[in-house]
Amino acid sequence: MRLSVAAAISHGRVYRRLGLGPESRIHLLRNLLTGLVRHERIEASWARVDEMRVFAEKLIDYGKLGDTNERAMRMADFWLTKDLISKLFQVLAHRYQGQNGGYTRMLQIPNRNKQDRAKMAVMEYKGNCLPPLPLPRRDSNLTLLNQLLRGLQQDREASTHSSHTPPTPGT
Amino acid sequence: MLVLVVPPWPAARELLRNCWQRLQWTLQQSRPGFPRPPWEPALAVQGPAIFTESANDTNGSKEVSSLLDSIFWMAAPKKRRSIEVNRCRRRNPYKLIKVKHNIVVCPECGHLKQKHVLCGYCYENVRKETKEIRKEMGKLEGGPFKAPTVETLVLYRGETPSEQDQGKRIIEREKKRPSWFTQN
Repeated sequence: MRLSVAAAISHGRVYRRLGLGPESRIHLLRNLLTGLVRHERIEASWARVDEMRVFAEKLIDYGKLGDTNERAMRMADFWLTKDLISKLFQVLAHRYQGQNGGYTRMLQIPNRNKQDRAKMAVMEYKGNCLPPLPLPRRDSNLTLLNQLLRGLQQDREASTHSSHTPPTPGT
Repeated sequence: MLVLVVPPWPAARELLRNCWQRLQWTLQQSRPGFPRPPWEPALAVQGPAIFTESANDTNGSKEVSSLLDSIFWMAAPKKRRSIEVNRCRRRNPYKLIKVKHNIVVCPECGHLKQKHVLCGYCYENVRKETKEIRKEMGKLEGGPFKAPTVETLVLYRGETPSEQDQGKRIIEREKKRPSWFTQN
């Protein structure tokens, strides 16, 4: 049983430390989230965007509760500026009323061009009006390679099916 | 009555220490049960730290040379490392740069990209276009903190909004629609 903690080892620690402390971390994420709601697409360092994603989706869930809900209004008041509260409740909540999650999309972009070469990510609210990101697309089923693979898969299924069926007619 | 004066300089301190040791020795000889409290009242002697450090300082004459010796107990290589040993250390796999096997060709533009990262060229095009669109948005809004409470739509030259785009804020761009920006 470990009774003391070695100072410089952080094996297995899952929570990130951003900014100057826990309160500073929340303020950082609040700034990022305000920018995301205003511009609907934001790029920042990967760790910060990853932290902010949780809050972005939870904020939409609070927005879905409606304008009249006291808790939702308090949340929006803390996290966003005055003009964006109405945008959250009228635009974003309406956009995602049919979905149950997955309101954001986060992708890694090439490292920052400055000297720190930091790992950067871009996050956007789905369904925005901006030009689409070059998302990774699966190859179509009609390419030669995919057709050959489908043929192989079907042959394998046919052989296993034929190996299973012979015992049954014998009874 | 004992009066003790502490001279500051080391030679006289040494002399004093020797005298004190001789005194203690003679007292021990004369009185077998030596550490017996009832001595006649004498002046309290301020026995300073020189007597406690007498154990350390018995070789006081060799003090200077031992100090000089102790400075030089430092690590130093014993033998010259041969070029074979050096090569083994310098070319050990952990020091070499790892080869990346996750570089692929972007199907859209043909530039190289990493598998799990967006293509730099395509993303740069997207960034330029979003910058232009946000400039137009800024002109429409006319100031800070004036985010609209309706959805936005971007239309290029020669396009009109459809019936499901009623009530949206329209951003006009004076150029042809890029091929990668499909209209849904």
